Amino acid sequence: MTEVINVKDLALTYADGTKAVQGISFTVNDGEVFGFLGPNGAGKSTTIKILTTLLHKTSGSATVGGYDIVRQAPEIRKVIGVQSQETSVDPELTGRENMILEGHLQQMRGKELEERVDSLLSVVGLKDAANKRAGRYSGGMKKRLDLATVLVHKPKIMFLDEPTTGLDPQSRAGVWDYLEELNKKEGITIFLTTQYLEEADRLCQRLCIVDGGKIVAQGTPSELKSEIGADAITITMKDYQGKSDDSVRAKAREIIQNLPNVSNTIDSGDGLTIYAKNGGYFIPDLVRAFDKTDIKLVSINLSTPTLDDVFLKHTGKRIRVEELQKTAPSMFGRR
Amino acid sequence: MTLLFDTQNLAVRALKKLVRNPILIFFSLFQPIIFLVLFTQLFHSFNLLPGFPPGVSYLQYAAAGILLQNAFSSALQAGTSIVDDLNYGFLQKMLVTQVSRPAILLGRLSSDAFRVTVQSVIILALAYALGFRVATGLPGILLMLFIIAFFGLAWSGISLALGMRTRSAETVFGIGGFLTFPLLFMSTALVPVSFMPVWMQDVSKVNPISYAVDAVRDLSLPGYFSTSAVLSSIGVIALIAVLTMTATLYLFRKVVS
Repeated sequence: MTEVINVKDLALTYADGTKAVQGISFTVNDGEVFGFLGPNGAGKSTTIKILTTLLHKTSGSATVGGYDIVRQAPEIRKVIGVQSQETSVDPELTGRENMILEGHLQQMRGKELEERVDSLLSVVGLKDAANKRAGRYSGGMKKRLDLATVLVHKPKIMFLDEPTTGLDPQSRAGVWDYLEELNKKEGITIFLTTQYLEEADRLCQRLCIVDGGKIVAQGTPSELKSEIGADAITITMKDYQGKSDDSVRAKAREIIQNLPNVSNTIDSGDGLTIYAKNGGYFIPDLVRAFDKTDIKLVSINLSTPTLDDVFLKHTGKRIRVEELQKTAPSMFGRR
Repeated sequence: MTLLFDTQNLAVRALKKLVRNPILIFFSLFQPIIFLVLFTQLFHSFNLLPGFPPGVSYLQYAAAGILLQNAFSSALQAGTSIVDDLNYGFLQKMLVTQVSRPAILLGRLSSDAFRVTVQSVIILALAYALGFRVATGLPGILLMLFIIAFFGLAWSGISLALGMRTRSAETVFGIGGFLTFPLLFMSTALVPVSFMPVWMQDVSKVNPISYAVDAVRDLSLPGYFSTSAVLSSIGVIALIAVLTMTATLYLFRKVVS
């Protein structure tokens, strides 16, 4: 397989000293959907901005589409399409005008452009609204228009910065379907960032889990999950007084430590997550063990490992998703 | 070619936005029209004072100042558009395309120059209806419009730079409003220099508005036109333009780095 993105020891430190990206390396193959999964502030947007020629790296190297990000920025811009986190369509232009303008900026014109715009508008379901001003579109429509504008020049590689953040579940599923179709039918390589586990799991053939500007794990979703090698059992508990503070948690940990098959125990919310082989068989042991103590189990939840468990294993934290949280829009805003 | 194509497309975009927000033009024109209709009536006896060009009505005299005031204050709003593009991510979206970088500024500036020209034509038409005449005829009017648009262009650079620096439309509007009147009153826009106290005469002599106003006025009053005066005023405007555009380009480079 050919590599379309190759990143080596890439790092960026902002002028104020923030180390947004700290020496990351990865490759993306042609035709792949590749994901960057991580919480806010992990360096996802910064990475996209470096790869799409908007920010200059501090050290390391990278190529996109075979072109060097420093020396061949204009060549890169010909082959990439970039959707930023903020939906950026011109509210005072109609949907169609937005598309035509973007086509012009991409040096397209005439009949070729008109036909491309018409077909994209119908693909994203905006044909009927094409002559309405984009400012009157709903959030989901704007996002679809934004996506369509980015595709106008038939890019080979798409960069999507949190493509579904801020969308309702229905629109989110719609975007997923569309991205899958783009990838399969047109063979476009997609690099996306997300803080949604479900999104990474569903769309990405391979992914990096990132935190604090570093890659903490990479592989296919199933590789990463099997790395956990155990089921996750999440419990919450109380003592006989109804307390569930740290001392209760510490006592519970002691009890769990003595059980067989436990590979790891991690704090999670106001309870604990226990990783154990054959979770189904483990639960009766767990219940019996607590039965003899003055701590009561309030809830038990068994799940096969998720990408969040992978994240938890490597960082000791869960990916906290701040749903619909809007930060002030800014050009080089860090997340 | 790319530069021309991109500049044209971006200028058309800016003008479409302007036409769809006619309220902006209305607000810009409101003040000069009030000046043209009310201020010139209020002070119509100014022409009786010693030192006023003989045989010239106050409207005939002040029209040049009002035209340039309009160019100046409109130009100082130019930066609000780039604030929007910055804050809504549209500038960033343009920067990942193949668009020619200078075209982003040039498109903006040419649409601003076009806007000032259209507003000036409206003001001129109204002034004509009220009795204003341009002694040098149509060629004179065209030269006036050129000087006015060029003057506006020179100042829109300042506004664009402010917009990129502060990223706040309110600040751009605020600073524009703050600058307009002091510079207008301390220039020859509304009264001859001999009317002013000595310290203000000194200010007015270094006030760039005076140079542009004098050139436009010399074109409109009978018997005042001189090639050298027009050329020197264009020279002064060009100097301002070089300064403001350098600042704008410097900040733009920083933003698009």
